Amino acid sequence: MTDHTNDAQTTVLVIGGGVGGIKAAMDLSEAQKDVLLVDKAAAIGGLMTQLDRTFPTNNCDLCTISPHLSAGARQQHIDLMPLTQVTAVTGEAGDFTVTLTSTPRYIDLEKCTACGECHKKYPECVRFYPGLDHRAPTCMRYPQATPQAFSIDMAACKDVNGLVNVCPANAIVVDDQEKVATRRVSSIILAVGADLFDPDKLDHFGHGRYPNVVTGLEYERIMSASGPTLGELVRPSDGVPPKRVAWIQCAGSRGINREDVSYCSSVCCMYALKEAIVTKERFQDDIETTIFYMDMRTFGKDYEGYYQRAKDQYGVRMVRCRPHSIVPDSTGQQLHIAYATDENSGMTTELFDMVVLSTGFRPSSHTTRLAEILGVELNAHQFVRGGNFEPVVTSRPGIYVCGVIEGPKDIPETMVQASAAACMAARHTGHAGSAAEVESEYPPERDVIGETPRIGVFVCDCGQNIGGAMDVDAVVQEAAKYPHVVHVEMAGHGCGQEALDRMRQMIQEKNLNRVVVGACSPRTHEGLFQENLRKAGLNKYLLDIANIRDQNAWVHGGARELATAKAKKLIRMAVGGVAQAGPLREHRLPINKDVLVIGGGVSGMSSALALGDQGYKVVLAERTGRLGGLAAIIRRNLEGDDVRAYVAQLVEKVQAHDQIEVITNAIVVDHSGMPGKFQTGFQIGPRMYYRQIEHGATVMATGALAHRPDQYLLGRHKAVMTQLDLDDLLETQPEQVSNWECMVMVQCVGSRTADNPNCSRICCQSAIKNALRLTDLNPDMRVFILYRDMRTYGFSEDAYIEARRRGVIFVRYQADIPPRVTADGDRVTVHFHDPILGRDMEVTADCLGLSTGLLADDETTEDLAAIFHLNRTEDGHFLEDHVKLKPLDMSVPGFFVAGTAHSPRTIRESIAQAQGVAGRIQGLLAQDVINLGAVVARVDRDKCATCLVCVRACPYHVPFINEDRYSEIDPAKCHGCGICAAECPAKAIQLSCFEDAPIMAKLEGLLERIA
Amino acid sequence: MITAERKPLAEIIDYIDNCRRILLVGCNECVTVCAAGGRKEVAMLASAMQMDFMKRGKTVDIREMTLERQCEPEYVEELAPFIDQADAVVSMACGCGVQEVVRRFRGKRVYPAVNTSFMGAAERPGVWAERCHGCGNCLLGLTGGICPIARCSKRLMNGPCGGSSKGKCEVSTEIDCVWQLIWDRLKELGIEDRYEEIILAKDWRTERGGGPRKIVREDLAQ
Amino acid sequence: METFEPVIVAFCCHYCAYTAADMAGTMRLDYPANVKIVRVPCSGKVDPIHMMKALELGADGVLVAGCLEGDCHFKTGNVKAARRVTYVQTQLEEIGVEPQRLAMVTMSAGMGTRFAAIANEFTEQIRKLGPNPVAAARKAQAAPAPVAQVN
Repeated sequence: MTDHTNDAQTTVLVIGGGVGGIKAAMDLSEAQKDVLLVDKAAAIGGLMTQLDRTFPTNNCDLCTISPHLSAGARQQHIDLMPLTQVTAVTGEAGDFTVTLTSTPRYIDLEKCTACGECHKKYPECVRFYPGLDHRAPTCMRYPQATPQAFSIDMAACKDVNGLVNVCPANAIVVDDQEKVATRRVSSIILAVGADLFDPDKLDHFGHGRYPNVVTGLEYERIMSASGPTLGELVRPSDGVPPKRVAWIQCAGSRGINREDVSYCSSVCCMYALKEAIVTKERFQDDIETTIFYMDMRTFGKDYEGYYQRAKDQYGVRMVRCRPHSIVPDSTGQQLHIAYATDENSGMTTELFDMVVLSTGFRPSSHTTRLAEILGVELNAHQFVRGGNFEPVVTSRPGIYVCGVIEGPKDIPETMVQASAAACMAARHTGHAGSAAEVESEYPPERDVIGETPRIGVFVCDCGQNIGGAMDVDAVVQEAAKYPHVVHVEMAGHGCGQEALDRMRQMIQEKNLNRVVVGACSPRTHEGLFQENLRKAGLNKYLLDIANIRDQNAWVHGGARELATAKAKKLIRMAVGGVAQAGPLREHRLPINKDVLVIGGGVSGMSSALALGDQGYKVVLAERTGRLGGLAAIIRRNLEGDDVRAYVAQLVEKVQAHDQIEVITNAIVVDHSGMPGKFQTGFQIGPRMYYRQIEHGATVMATGALAHRPDQYLLGRHKAVMTQLDLDDLLETQPEQVSNWECMVMVQCVGSRTADNPNCSRICCQSAIKNALRLTDLNPDMRVFILYRDMRTYGFSEDAYIEARRRGVIFVRYQADIPPRVTADGDRVTVHFHDPILGRDMEVTADCLGLSTGLLADDETTEDLAAIFHLNRTEDGHFLEDHVKLKPLDMSVPGFFVAGTAHSPRTIRESIAQAQGVAGRIQGLLAQDVINLGAVVARVDRDKCATCLVCVRACPYHVPFINEDRYSEIDPAKCHGCGICAAECPAKAIQLSCFEDAPIMAKLEGLLERIA
Repeated sequence: MITAERKPLAEIIDYIDNCRRILLVGCNECVTVCAAGGRKEVAMLASAMQMDFMKRGKTVDIREMTLERQCEPEYVEELAPFIDQADAVVSMACGCGVQEVVRRFRGKRVYPAVNTSFMGAAERPGVWAERCHGCGNCLLGLTGGICPIARCSKRLMNGPCGGSSKGKCEVSTEIDCVWQLIWDRLKELGIEDRYEEIILAKDWRTERGGGPRKIVREDLAQ
Repeated sequence: METFEPVIVAFCCHYCAYTAADMAGTMRLDYPANVKIVRVPCSGKVDPIHMMKALELGADGVLVAGCLEGDCHFKTGNVKAARRVTYVQTQLEEIGVEPQRLAMVTMSAGMGTRFAAIANEFTEQIRKLGPNPVAAARKAQAAPAPVAQVN
């Protein structure tokens, strides 16, 4: 690896190796920027690695994050410093000098194989991080920790010599010291996340005193396969499986009492639902789940459906209240929850086996110190303050922020901000070496065509991971007998630098032309070994990996003979397969670096500006005659900023920008090509002339529609209006408004209904915003807000509190008994049921404000989805590729989505997405060529019967019958699935890397002894 | 295109049960396209035969070959180097291909592995339907381009029989009544009058009435 | 007689079942060593010939493992694979080999537990069926001449 120590021009410092920091680092490295990633913990991954599953996909979290980590560890541009903190910063944007202090690990990272011997013999010496009551079976935070190494607490270690001797890799460094280093960096991304609230301080809930009261995270650990109980759900007090589990929401959040914070932590409703769903999935009718909540805040994309499924499909019981206390029963095994509901004035007590406290985020004291060191402002809640229209920009130029430390948020929003921060931070860096230059450092490929296979087999022992489960020597001896095998050796930790060097040396010395590695999974390590072959002058496809760890040693840990026999077979199969492998060429295309942005609203303009500022040429296509979108008619945001002025200034910047061409009245009519080489046709202007634009990436920022449902006399009585209308009226006719005596607002009009099931996310904030402005104008005005759940997530909860303080009356209504409105001259009368008074009420109001929210622009997204082959959600929003890992990428490579075309969101959140998209695109376009890989289908023209089967079977419509009358498959377009190869009745198609010959050879290798 | 489908395995095995060495020959033309006898089907049948033999404790040596067109002597000639090493040839071509192999290798036992079915077209991937009967005297010009001989169960020439119901044939609701199709098409073309014209009794000599047929192009014939 | 240990070939899609198998390892879930995985880019890549050949060469069971319905990385590969499996089962029936020796299963990448459960169930099912009749008869015989392929 090259030393970039003094290369201030290109390096970005990322502080914090949680999911946000990793994403920012990955995006920057994709954009060929050097990254220094520091984390105060011994391994990166942050909070997410401790979660069992994450919403809304409820997939196992390890599989979600481990590709990120293993790739992250390999990225050539990322320099990782664990156990390291920033202790000083000087300089300015473009050239900061940072002081980094690393605490000793007492372990040599290069040598540690994470075999676990130290922990087995001296558990007290090994640092353990989850910070929970229960120790995990492994003291790495999770099985695939990066870096994969232990960490020693020397102070706690009594028998240092014993510890040193127990380590088979000699990795213990007894005299390891604290290290202080300075580095020059161009910009800094702050991604330190936050702690979770420690509920021990809340004496009425008894956490820390009653073993069966656990936090959400502790519950995750109990449910986790890598947790203390190996995934068995048991009551901590006595190990008995619980029958009744309760969740108490807002533990320590949304409160006014001692130890409470006022803001909403934004994620707890979803994680409690997730935990309840997962619990129900696993135990069905054997377990009861109850959630005690104040407002169910499922405001994210498609989260409302998740909530409804939890209730209706899984039978999670929902009780709306804030429980008073938890008291154990006489046995001490069960817990009484005391609570009162709206419907029932008396106190109810109910018995549960376990209670989960949904605790939220708290910035750590460490963050406060770090903010001082960095000189960035914090807000009233000690989170880092981001700009109102520049969400990832801190008060100090050159320092950016993303993730929870900027404000409570879930994984998708964190990933979005991480990409945005990567985009902004990259502005301060120059150009780093591109991937193509690295390639040229490799020796030329040796021509092996026509040579008899000479196979070298390298069997990893993987620091006991493999060696502990089988007789590696026996495997090695057996492998020497396989056909074409000319060299076999045990490789220790095969992926270690030493072993890789040795492998290359053997390739040279023994003149090997094929390699088999008995190792872990090719999913994680194929790239590494392929690169090693390439460095040794062999084509990288002359490799096969026998997965003898993940799919053998780890499975048959208790059955040594079985594992040994299976490893022999797996290696025999790989030897058979690789003997049939041939060198392959990867397909590359030059990339077009222009970007097409579709949609001229705030999101589209923000993306265009971010990309234009980076020097990319951008075409911004707007369907209407003007830029600005929906935001252009909004007057104020919740923070009170002048939105119109902001949008006007954005329009001006876009129009004046050298790199941005704006085309208005432009309708997309056709599209073709692939990422890096798209062509999109438009009909433009009143005369509808046709123009084709060539571009390498595409941003979908087509926005959404302001909903105006035909309800509550909207459009039929002048006293009835939407929050948008009211926003305008407040600005244009304040005198008229200040004369009003009574205002009523109704939430969820046309949202969370059968027609439009999702939450519009923004309406609760809009209602509060307007209520506060009304009471500014006329403090005596009576304002009623009729709501279902108030969803003022994050810091907007403060505004909700302020509205209540000012006397705004909030009345909950149920979806099946909505308010009614009747005309009453110039005024309207609103009829509703007050659940606390238990009475039907009537209020005559000067104005009825409807929170109508946003609606997907179904017609537009349908048309565009058809032209571009994009996916949509059921309600007509564009669908991202992966809700958590790739929230901005679409499933069609080269397409990205930002703003309300993705889902309803605020202007600030749209800008984060827009800049995040620019960050993603910067990675895509940093390459000079597109590498399309080598796994493509090839047609043997002599065998082709032109039967059209491939033409019809291909999911991507790639094969066609060419002028020479045989099927042709463009390698640049082939996705490499092999469906055509399996369907071809003439056996004229082979898929490179997965041809029939190696597959048959593997089968023969496996089954030869049976004959 | 000629369509075919593979015979039941038992029938094929029955032909060759006493053979030890089989030359299994596919054809890269029509039978490849209709997934009955191309390279892939050859491999599938070879494997099935092999398993069938082995299951009964017998062994068989199967050589797989697929010719470009089994109905052409030059392509069939490619079998010559291997023919002596086979006790029998199993052909996956249509009847034309089988007989061409027979004509070339007179002393060799040759067995069909497919049933040649009809001349048809692919209605959709995986579904082939009869379209032409090869009557030797095409009347598509009179019937809106839809053939009543190939597609009417009774080969009626002048309108449907009483068994036509809701556009379907009484033989099976899977079968369209061809006369419904013809009528719809004539209407689409605006030439319903054509339906009134009587088609006279057909001269079946061009079909099979005149014995086996042959086409000779004098200019090309050698 | 010693207990019969079947040999099972599992063609696993890289994007789901193969990852799920890795997951099963990560979770240290025990499943029979009888199951040997051949990695494919998509279950839609598995040729009916490979299913047949695996059994012909002596495998006692063959699994084709793809993504959950609607989740195929390549849109429709898993659906095609399922149809091919059904077709090959009819062929096996003709030969007199139990069609249950071949099965299509689906799972997502995160379903390590499901992979292990399927491996267990399928191995048990094959154990009950007994040895592949082809292999059993073949064992008694000398190895046959290799299958020749001219073109």
